[in-house]
Amino acid sequence: MTKTTRVLTVDDSASMRALLNHALTTHGFDVAQADDGQSALEWLQLNEVDVVITDINMPRLDGFGLIEALRNGTRHRDRPILVLTTESSDEKKNRARQMGATGWIVKPFDATKLVAAVRRVSH
Amino acid sequence: MNMMTPPPTAPGLQPTTRLTVLQGQARVSAGPRVEFSTVLGSCVATCLFDPEEQVGGMNHFLLAEPPAGGQTVDEHYGVYLMELLINEMLANGAAKHRLRANLYGGANLYPGMAQIGSANASFAKTFLLRERITLVREDLGGNSARRVDFRPASGLVRCRTVANTLAPEERPVARPVAAVGEVELF
Repeated sequence: MTKTTRVLTVDDSASMRALLNHALTTHGFDVAQADDGQSALEWLQLNEVDVVITDINMPRLDGFGLIEALRNGTRHRDRPILVLTTESSDEKKNRARQMGATGWIVKPFDATKLVAAVRRVSH
Repeated sequence: MNMMTPPPTAPGLQPTTRLTVLQGQARVSAGPRVEFSTVLGSCVATCLFDPEEQVGGMNHFLLAEPPAGGQTVDEHYGVYLMELLINEMLANGAAKHRLRANLYGGANLYPGMAQIGSANASFAKTFLLRERITLVREDLGGNSARRVDFRPASGLVRCRTVANTLAPEERPVARPVAAVGEVELF
């Protein structure tokens, strides 16, 4: 029996969360959602996940802070983290890479490419 | 039609810097002498204002119909364009929970474009509702072009109808084919 891949999406935009939820659930993923980095960390203290997809610009704890917290922790330090963002600067992309992000996806996302990336990093 | 007259410029003060917001653009400023202006037909403009930080921004868009599916407009691209404006506001000190929005445009100037103007207006209203951004004023629909002047530092907006011939040629914008949803694995 194949285990369903569980994805946590982190984005402060409810509209973006709805688009992500639709794109991922229709491709068979189990989706959990958090509205900022702090909520994601709290959820991850109690739950397991296969892949994290996070926005950068968020209140309370942004995407960089989330990556740093996960990479400096123990429980989820090896979890694939895909950054999904409107940011186009190389400086921010390099910063995410250096902090330990697994990949960088530019909004508006293409559902097919997003799903392929999630499948690739989760195996 | 909503009419708000900006305060008159006192003698000796610097003149207003008027910046046009074209279709596909988003501009943000906290400059007290800055005024954003745009002329809308079927297009929709969102004016966002943070009263505490006294910073404002305006975008101007007309979304294409999506390639397939039950949506009336390309919601993916619309969410992206709205997020660009919101992120620029946040980068200039605004807080999302303090944002106040005005929506203008979405007129049905031509019979063939009637649905898309209304659909774009509907998208913008739904987006704000979903994001819990307070919509304080809307002037949408109808069959006349509008000119919108927005003072981003004070939040004052003046909207008036203008001759339809003054509305720029508007073409629904689809997501660019290249460099969209690009994935780079490290």
